[in-house]
Amino acid sequence: MKFIEKQIANLVLLVVIAVSVFPFIYMLIMSLKNTLSTYDFNLNGLTLENYVKIFRTAEFERYFFNSVFVALAGVLLAVAVSCLAGYAFAKLKFPGNDKIFFALIMTLIIPSEVIIVPLYLTIKNLGWLNTYQALILPLPTALGTFIMRQAILGVPDEVIDAAKIEGCSNLKILWKVILPLVKSSILTLAIFTFVGAWNNFLWPLIVSTKNEMKTLPLILSATKTQFEPNIGLTMACAAVNFLPPFIFYILLQRKFKEGVVLSGMKG
Amino acid sequence: MQASFLRIEVLMNKKKRNCQLSAYGYITPILLIMIVFLGVSVLMSVVLSFTKYNILTPPQFNELDNYTRMLTDKKFVKALMNTLKVMVYIVPLQTVISLLVSVVIASKRNTWLGKLANIVIFIPVLSSNAVVGTVWKAILNGHIEVVEKFFAFFGINCSMLLGDADSALLTVAMVSIWKNVGYYAVLYISALINISDHYYEAAKVDGAGRISRFFYVTLPMLKPTTILVVFLGVTTSLQCFDIIYNLTGGGPAMGTTTLVFYVYDLCFKSGRAGYAMAVSNMLFLLILITVVAQRKMMRKDASEI
Repeated sequence: MKFIEKQIANLVLLVVIAVSVFPFIYMLIMSLKNTLSTYDFNLNGLTLENYVKIFRTAEFERYFFNSVFVALAGVLLAVAVSCLAGYAFAKLKFPGNDKIFFALIMTLIIPSEVIIVPLYLTIKNLGWLNTYQALILPLPTALGTFIMRQAILGVPDEVIDAAKIEGCSNLKILWKVILPLVKSSILTLAIFTFVGAWNNFLWPLIVSTKNEMKTLPLILSATKTQFEPNIGLTMACAAVNFLPPFIFYILLQRKFKEGVVLSGMKG
Repeated sequence: MQASFLRIEVLMNKKKRNCQLSAYGYITPILLIMIVFLGVSVLMSVVLSFTKYNILTPPQFNELDNYTRMLTDKKFVKALMNTLKVMVYIVPLQTVISLLVSVVIASKRNTWLGKLANIVIFIPVLSSNAVVGTVWKAILNGHIEVVEKFFAFFGINCSMLLGDADSALLTVAMVSIWKNVGYYAVLYISALINISDHYYEAAKVDGAGRISRFFYVTLPMLKPTTILVVFLGVTTSLQCFDIIYNLTGGGPAMGTTTLVFYVYDLCFKSGRAGYAMAVSNMLFLLILITVVAQRKMMRKDASEI
């Protein structure tokens, strides 16, 4: 009985593993094949030709740059505003501290999908369609402030008081004393923001109408119709889109899962 | 002596006040972002939903027209029904699968197979919906022998999965579950690991078998997580868009057009921004009701313990 139970559990795990990775393996194999429109799993003659081909087109380099730039700038912005606000809410006393923080957390109820139309109108009225700021500035959410406030609450007051007695300004205390102590949370926030920005689809779809402002997910979506017969190119494009978050995940698995648990906590 | 004390106090008060003022400086950036992009948007969404607005010409106030039109708009009703159907397809199955898979992974987390499953189950979560949609579309439409045989074994014609209006919606739901199970599994696994062994030992002493331990110890201990998983599942599935855009493009014959998809079409294809905002306000209302229900249940659950 024990033995059978064990085998059933192993079987479940095997199925989970197979189902989870099968589409990605298919993607990678197809991206490495050079023959047009063949869907077999014949592994002869794998080449990087498709990757070379897509990176040779000038536009693709631009799309890749857009994705990287938007994601990195988004991370910097989100980390900066979240650390500043998180510090103020955790350690500084000012009238309305709790109330403003509560109001900020309430904004997490509003899903980005239900405000795309008015958000688009705002960006349009600002004259920001097809600009980087339109893609980057709306990225920070109250979740970042929440994560950084939680982390900074854990920094002992004594450490801060000691720095104060030495005559450090608030900003210096944040930069020199607090941030080094909450590095781990900053990394969680950075990863979360990076993956979110990198994978973002609906918002770029709306505000980046010009080709030179498109990001990788949009191009992938367009490539499908453009290169329909050429599965290899489409899959190479998908793989380029897939790999950066995947590599980060393999390196920093625990951070990803911490982020999930934290984002579940806010409710 | 007294005077210098007073002076110090005055100095400290001044210092404190400085400190308070600078706090507002620190929270200004995030508040500005939230007010400009979220606050203004919600206000516009409410106000402009009572107007006829095509973006090019100024909005014209048209009272409740947009809201009454929804009642007779067949496309709206279709999109609403599709959205609710997707939710019904996704939430129960997703919750049960992620729970069962998590129990197995958590109990086997020290074996290499368990570790590997725990790692790879999250890969679909971190990949973009564009990748997920594109790859699954290629697999389902690719006339791959292995895949076609696999589905034929269950009596399913693989090419009809995305080609038929009814099954396309179900296919979208299944791909969405495939993508998100790993997310909910992380929540479940972290909760499972935190259940103290004492409970299981006590149940064992009482002679409870594996199955009854699951129902009388594990399941009740996981109740807060299950509430979270169900409600997150509801709100996420109500907003389904990216996967649909990449898998079916809303078709065939509006078969997979959900509310967010309809809003997108209304505003960016037909230029009916006022009506689009009225429709997305209805979606927002649905989500708000869900969130309020969740808070109520969680509070009730916490007070019971």
